[in-house]
Amino acid sequence: MPEPILVIVEQREGKLNRVSWETLTAGQSLAAETGWTLEAAVAGSGVANFANEISAKKVSKVYAIESPKLEPYTPDAFSAGLQQFIESKRSKLVLMPHTYQVRDFVPKLATAMGRTVISDCVGYKKQGDKLVFTRQMFQGKLAADVGFACDAPWFVTFQNGAFRGDKVEDGASAAPVETVNVQIADGVVRNQPQEVFKEAKQAVDLTQAEIIVSVGRGIKEQKNIELAKQLAEALGGELAASRPICDSGWLPMDRQIGSSGQTVAPKLYLALGIRGAIQHIVGMKGARTIVAVNKDSEAPIFEIADYAVVGNLFEIVPPLIEEVKKAKAGS
Amino acid sequence: MLIFREPLEGIDRPKMPADVVIVGGGPAGMACALRLSQLVDQHNSQNPDSQLSKENIYVLEKAREIGQHCLSGALLDPRSMRELLPGFEKEAPLDAAVSKESVYFLTEKGKLKFPITPPPLRDHGNYVISLNRFVKWLGSKVEETGITIFTGFAGSELLFDGDRVTGVRTDDKGVDKQNQPKSNFEPGYDLQAKVVILAEGTRGSLTKQLVAKFDLAKDRNPQTYGQGVKELWEVPSGRIAPGEVIYTLGWPLTTKEYGGAWIYGGKDNIVSLGFVTGLDYPDPRLDPQRVLQDFKQHPLAAKLLEGAKMIRYGAKSLPYGGWWAIPPVAGNGWMILGDSAGFLNSQRLKGIHLAIKSGMLAAETAFEALRKDDSSAAMLGQFQSKVESSWIKDELWKVRNFHQGFEHGFWAGLFHTGVQQFTGGRGLHNRYPGTAGYQRMRKLAELPANGGNEAHLLGPAKGDGKLTFDKLTDLYHSGTKHEEDQPAHLVIQDTNLCNTRCVIEFGSPCQNFCPANVYEMVDDAGQPSGKRISLNPSNCVHCKTCDIQDPYQIITWVPPEGGGGPNYDGM
Repeated sequence: MPEPILVIVEQREGKLNRVSWETLTAGQSLAAETGWTLEAAVAGSGVANFANEISAKKVSKVYAIESPKLEPYTPDAFSAGLQQFIESKRSKLVLMPHTYQVRDFVPKLATAMGRTVISDCVGYKKQGDKLVFTRQMFQGKLAADVGFACDAPWFVTFQNGAFRGDKVEDGASAAPVETVNVQIADGVVRNQPQEVFKEAKQAVDLTQAEIIVSVGRGIKEQKNIELAKQLAEALGGELAASRPICDSGWLPMDRQIGSSGQTVAPKLYLALGIRGAIQHIVGMKGARTIVAVNKDSEAPIFEIADYAVVGNLFEIVPPLIEEVKKAKAGS
Repeated sequence: MLIFREPLEGIDRPKMPADVVIVGGGPAGMACALRLSQLVDQHNSQNPDSQLSKENIYVLEKAREIGQHCLSGALLDPRSMRELLPGFEKEAPLDAAVSKESVYFLTEKGKLKFPITPPPLRDHGNYVISLNRFVKWLGSKVEETGITIFTGFAGSELLFDGDRVTGVRTDDKGVDKQNQPKSNFEPGYDLQAKVVILAEGTRGSLTKQLVAKFDLAKDRNPQTYGQGVKELWEVPSGRIAPGEVIYTLGWPLTTKEYGGAWIYGGKDNIVSLGFVTGLDYPDPRLDPQRVLQDFKQHPLAAKLLEGAKMIRYGAKSLPYGGWWAIPPVAGNGWMILGDSAGFLNSQRLKGIHLAIKSGMLAAETAFEALRKDDSSAAMLGQFQSKVESSWIKDELWKVRNFHQGFEHGFWAGLFHTGVQQFTGGRGLHNRYPGTAGYQRMRKLAELPANGGNEAHLLGPAKGDGKLTFDKLTDLYHSGTKHEEDQPAHLVIQDTNLCNTRCVIEFGSPCQNFCPANVYEMVDDAGQPSGKRISLNPSNCVHCKTCDIQDPYQIITWVPPEGGGGPNYDGM
């Protein structure tokens, strides 16, 4: 009897993860070379529609693994449910896309079954009757072929982009779909998922700001940043800083201007207590108007400033805020 | 609060077997890889039945690209290259053959030309090169052989089994400022090697680990060092001929410091110019980057650079100590090459040819070790004997006491050099003792407050933006770049000492000797001294001076995340 290959397709919040097609392509190509059968499965609660979608592809069977406990996703439920299913089907080779979700549960699943995972593979080779899977090492400078020394089931995850999802073959006729209910006992699921959120990629896009108030070491203490913030607010601009400020953790790194931070070209750049080392200047010299406030009349920032204010920023900024507010109120 | 880089505990690291791991892809490491490949090829063509593989020979290089951390004057003595690749001149990137040479003794405004060039500084037959370009080329030869160069990977630790070196751990990637793994964390690899070859350059961090573990500095003179600060200039045509070489002694240094300048004419109106300051000066306020700025104001240099443009900056340390300071260079599972060992002729200011030769000799030994599958101390010890019966020793033996002769100042140095010249390098004793340079640093209380004769060398350079530059401007031209969110790789054992003692006793010399503004004393009302040490690790140009020159010896330089560091294009 031919050995079954099982591709576990990923669905999330009502959508099939497109990388799953790539894994299915990998499964089809492996099945063709080995003569093994190819089956697919999708796990969740109410996943029949996904199973039907997959059944149009060239697979011998599709399983909808069902349990109310599989929705929403938790690593505990997926590991327990899939273990039950895989043990009952005696799959030889289990293929999954190397997604965040798979990375989350597959180590647990494999360990629970006393097996190992060859993860993040970019391809496979058939060497005689042995299958090996190719993994990148040293950030892709070297490729290692890795084979299984343990008993089946063998778990393999494929890297995003390793196979072509658009090359997945349709079947001659729809494959049979079977619903398998898995029993996940109470107490197995210890995770309590909260609402899914995306971390903001960048809280602030300084490159789009028209007015930037930037602070340097001259601000002396973290609490004084409030002063610059008030000025920025009065002007309707963004707050930014030179490296030492962000380095000290006084402002987040995405507000850093200069060679190791952002390059900006606002209409107005107000540099408060910034000396103007070349590392900072390369990040802001494209500003249309540069106003610099610094105690040291020889600070290099004055060489590129349109308006140079030599003086103590703590004396200059507070009245400036008042004036800006007045001007804005008057207009 | 400063958090320092240390290998993470409790991490499951991928292991990979290797035959030979060469740490460092400079001239020594590349020559070693190339020679090893030649020997394996030769063996394989003669022994069809017992083939050796090159697949498991690896070079680790912390720079993102080959050669990007290589900096030197540089003049190449072609002796070893002719042995490694006969006829290499036809294809190697050489700027010019040395065409003219002169040596000057400088006073503040004047200069005195040596009537004849002293023999050690005669450079006819040598080539002006960019070491960066030369090593890039050597690296491409290595890659053609099928040996893998892992660029962007640093050796972070040696692996031991008892008294045997069993491999190298590469750097952990994706670790944040608090030394915690980030989402892109990738643990370092444990390369389990039969033979580990250390070619890290001066004061290698793994070499330091090895020397400490096996007490290899025992019975040796302490290694002494210099710091070379270099700028590359593009000058109006006709100022200096390609291949023209100028050395200077004297000003701006006084008789209490050791060092001198070089000016080499390259091709396309590019001039390499720099100053080597011995890291054994007495005044902690001295700043080697400033010394170079002072030198450029001398009419000899100022005239050359008028209307010219500075295009690149860099700094590196070099080992001066000579033969008596070289540790044992081979043992159980390991060998040490090039500047890591101290193979540098301080009288000729040349080490590239010795680095290459040491790499070749180590390759011969590594080849035998692979062939016989034996990398014991007895087997690899052949490298030690090969060095001692090679021209490396002939050359270094003659100058074995050279630098030590200068310990009591410039004039005493000239006297000893003269005597040594006539006694085959012996001078007044077969072995002159040496003192570690940091021990010669004096406390502020013992020095004139105004700096005395050294005043012009002390404190940061201001820079006029044309001929002279402040340190940050110079640093910008090193192109150095690191992942910012990583722990500090300048590991200070006890920052309390910086904040309470050093600031008072020595005035925090780290701020002065570091050519990259990594170290900074910031105001801190919470400290009794009012100052606290702060680090800018991403400024680092990997010169290792801090590890060498800190008077309390509490700084250890470890490699930052691989791929970071200077960009020494054309240096």
